[in-house]
Amino acid sequence: MAFNLVGLAATLATFLGIWAGHVSVRKVESVARSIKWPSSIYAVLGISCEVGAGLSPQPAWSAALGILGITFLFDAFEMVRQQRRIVKGHAPAQPGNPRHARILAESSSATTHDLLKREPVGRPVGADEAIRLITEHYA
Amino acid sequence: MNIFGLAIGLVTLGIIGLGFPLVIQTERRGGYLWWPYMLAVGVLLAIGSLFVGNIWVSALLGAVGATFAWGSTELKEQAVRTEVGWYPFNDHKVQPPLAEIIKKWKAPHL
Repeated sequence: MAFNLVGLAATLATFLGIWAGHVSVRKVESVARSIKWPSSIYAVLGISCEVGAGLSPQPAWSAALGILGITFLFDAFEMVRQQRRIVKGHAPAQPGNPRHARILAESSSATTHDLLKREPVGRPVGADEAIRLITEHYA
Repeated sequence: MNIFGLAIGLVTLGIIGLGFPLVIQTERRGGYLWWPYMLAVGVLLAIGSLFVGNIWVSALLGAVGATFAWGSTELKEQAVRTEVGWYPFNDHKVQPPLAEIIKKWKAPHL
């Protein structure tokens, strides 16, 4: 029996595209002085993949490139969303990055703490306890 | 010009978009300990995609499977988001079967 590899290609492209996008957007946004260039690079990568998908005669490659292209294009938009998370304090700001330093100076919500980096405790926690929990997690 | 890949990419974007409310609602109603079940659904869908002859259905099953697998890695962080007040916290969650065993496992996250 022959397996249909189009689904496997779609699975791998979707999961790896989300994974790579998730990790790289957080990292690139934290070190980039401006988000314009990284967003443009993600957009170019996305468009290139979509062109490749259009030119590929193999359905498995076409699907994989089509999905990867869309995730790269979404990553371009995610750069903007990640910066919004920094402003709201939903992701940690890096004081060494001048753009983040400006956000820390202007936004009272912005923080250098990664409030998500801990195990759940099963109940609501206040601001002080949230910081104590991540401090314990790192210790 | 082959529009198959672009079309699958656009539909996958919609599927990933639906993954966000899937994670939010699963965590709100059941909690993050459902992650192994969500992961299992994803793996089963991905395996199932291998046995489907139609390339459109196969690709969509694969994309939905990957979205479930990714969702399973998001549940723990979503639980923390509800605890710090970024999303509503539900005190009456429906615990999954074998919850006490699952608590001893390290929940995945990307």
